[in-house]
Amino acid sequence: MTEKITSKELSKKITEEYLDEAFHAHEKGKLIGYSTAISPVEIFVAHDIIPIYPENHAVANLTAKKGAELCSVVESMGYTSHLCAYARSDLAYRATGKTVTRGIPEPDLFLACNAQCFTLTKWFQVLARKGNLPLFVFDTPEFIMDKRAREEIVKYCVIQLKELISFLEEITKKKFDYDRLREVIKYSAESSILYKKFLDMAQYIPSPISIFDALIGMAIAVYRRGTPECVEYYRVLCDEIQEKVDKGIGVLPKEKEKYRLYWENLPVWFKFSDHAKLLGSYGGVILTSLYVHAWSFEFDLDKDPLVTLAENYVSRFSNSTIEDRASMALELFKKYSMNGMIMFMNRSCKAVSFAVPTLKDVLTKKTGIPALVFESDMGDQRFYSEAQIRTRIEAYFETLDGLKK
Amino acid sequence: MWEGLDIKEIVEMAKDPYPSIKEWAERSGKKVVGSTFADAPEEVIYAFGLLPVTIMGTTKPLKRAPSHLPDNACSLARSNLELVLSYAGDVFHGFVLPQVCDTTQHLSDIWRINLPGKYVESYLAPRQVDRPSARYWVKKELERLIDSLSNWTGMKINDGELVRSIAIHNENKALLKELYELKKKNPSSLTNKELFSMIKLSQQVDKEEFNRSLRRIRDTIKPRGDSDGFTDIVLAGITCDPPEIYDLFDEIKLNVVGDTLLIGTRYIQGMVPEGGNPIDALTERHFKRGFFSPIHDDVFKNFEEMKTIYRETGAKAIVYVHIEFCESQEYDLPDLKKMIKKEGIPMHVLDTEYQTLSLSHVRTRLQAFFESLKGV
Ligand code: SF4
Ligand code: SF4
Repeated sequence: MTEKITSKELSKKITEEYLDEAFHAHEKGKLIGYSTAISPVEIFVAHDIIPIYPENHAVANLTAKKGAELCSVVESMGYTSHLCAYARSDLAYRATGKTVTRGIPEPDLFLACNAQCFTLTKWFQVLARKGNLPLFVFDTPEFIMDKRAREEIVKYCVIQLKELISFLEEITKKKFDYDRLREVIKYSAESSILYKKFLDMAQYIPSPISIFDALIGMAIAVYRRGTPECVEYYRVLCDEIQEKVDKGIGVLPKEKEKYRLYWENLPVWFKFSDHAKLLGSYGGVILTSLYVHAWSFEFDLDKDPLVTLAENYVSRFSNSTIEDRASMALELFKKYSMNGMIMFMNRSCKAVSFAVPTLKDVLTKKTGIPALVFESDMGDQRFYSEAQIRTRIEAYFETLDGLKK
Repeated sequence: MWEGLDIKEIVEMAKDPYPSIKEWAERSGKKVVGSTFADAPEEVIYAFGLLPVTIMGTTKPLKRAPSHLPDNACSLARSNLELVLSYAGDVFHGFVLPQVCDTTQHLSDIWRINLPGKYVESYLAPRQVDRPSARYWVKKELERLIDSLSNWTGMKINDGELVRSIAIHNENKALLKELYELKKKNPSSLTNKELFSMIKLSQQVDKEEFNRSLRRIRDTIKPRGDSDGFTDIVLAGITCDPPEIYDLFDEIKLNVVGDTLLIGTRYIQGMVPEGGNPIDALTERHFKRGFFSPIHDDVFKNFEEMKTIYRETGAKAIVYVHIEFCESQEYDLPDLKKMIKKEGIPMHVLDTEYQTLSLSHVRTRLQAFFESLKGV
């Protein structure tokens, strides 16, 4: 009998195959489309355009603590240190070729969906200018709370998706295949359900996964959604975690799991494992964040494919009002029985962070749970103060302990 | 209240127009609607009998804004937030807030949550402008705004009211344009500070009244000295604050002969074609002026625009005003600088911040730049 493949092995295999294909795209008559992590990439996949996410590549470099070095390179090129560290490290990679991975293939075209952020549009504009390449901005107006406005916003987005399809047809001189799109969305829908199931396993006590597992597990959903291998990956992953649940294995043993925490924002990539250890030593496990849930789509296969794409992408947390973000987070608090929250003010990500102080106010008011707020940068170590953050974390757990007594 | 102002009074009022707006609103019983830059259609708000006021920050100290927006948020957003939270919140009955970037998107939410009881509507102009869907969307948003204002005020407006409002706004822009032309040719007749105060105040007070002041100034304005010895410059960017920067320009005899600012030419360009369906005309206008929203202001367009103004006006240099820490500008600037340099156009970048207390470093750098130009 052959050994069951682990999710880790499968992830590695999928990633390698994906990158191999991407590096040889042109030989196979395919194009490389750079895309924002949140974007209706199903359209790319259906049209045989290989999506590449410069953000993912940036994460690899930032996690490997290359942030400060790369960021200083772009600063000498005239970019300020206030921009997103993904963008800064990427622009530096392009200038110097420095990376801890094999790099990423050069783009043929760009898709920037501003449901994620405005930074990416600007960053892609810089890259597109350099190569004089076509850029499509999928403009998703903020998903404001008015029902009628939402219907109109979705309509506007559907019109734009049609424009995106014409844009791609024009570049590739190939007719778009809607049946293929339906098939791709089917895979996305299936993998999204499994991905969400995986994230939601953090409901168990003790939780079998922490946010750090979620962040690792998220990668395939980001860059391989719309494919059968993505579905397969989450099936394997869910089975693995379920096994842990069945055996009662938690990130921390049940008796040690004191604090089930919410995390707001992206992680501090270069402190990834340190944070997990540090929090664990206080009996804390970070379970989830809105960020990892950004890829829990709910595609409705009975709807017109463009409509369900538009509805899903425009309503991501990053494009929702602060009130809606708060409701989404509150739902997670309830579902995962959380009793603490760490709110990270990430200098890099204005799109997420500028909501944080207001969000924190709403959440603490509604849950009565105190919050730990700290400021730093997700990738540029120069903005990270070890001693200060340790002290804050210690003090926070003392407060929580005090409340428990 | 704003119909009999002379130049000096305009400059004074432009510094802090809010007390006069408040007094006017109390006297007239009208409601005041604030908007941040840049796409909110004033004509529509005005047609409802409301006073549209563009909110342009404050130079007063930041007290409450920092707890809502961190220090790497752009100075304009923080300053605007401070203005409504601490200094002039009671002037406004409501807000129509356009969203041009991540910062402004959050700002609308923060305002809605922190100013309960006020009318707050978002105006979601498209952040792409080259495809047919952009036109479709501008029109939809205009219609939605009209519905929303109707619901709030309990009033309906007809085309006649819109047409009248458009005419008043167009007249204001035509007057500003004439005054700008006059100043360009004859810099001693109007200082930079005076002209830009007029454009600024135009976006904040009742235009029907203010047009009377502008008309009289236009009819009576005379050169106040020698117009020689000025260096013509183009001013580029989004806005230019604090207002003392104009004093510096005046002091070293710079004459702004063209600009790409929201508080300058981009505003004046926003005349609405008259005669046809007003909603169609307002939609059309959105695509006619130099675009407000930095998000779709691509660098090539920006560069072409700056180059054209520079060549057409025969200016000697471009002064680019960078608002700390505006992302849109910061992603564009390195390439923009390269293009301008390659074209052989001298350009000086001014880093500005609304709460700047001392401009001495700006003065020194500006002087040095223009000294070096003379040497060329
Ligand atoms: S980290 Fe934030 S600003 Fe940077 S690319 Fe991601 S969403 Fe955009
Ligand atoms: S466009 Fe720039 S100046 Fe305007 S609000 Fe956004 S960041 Fe601030």
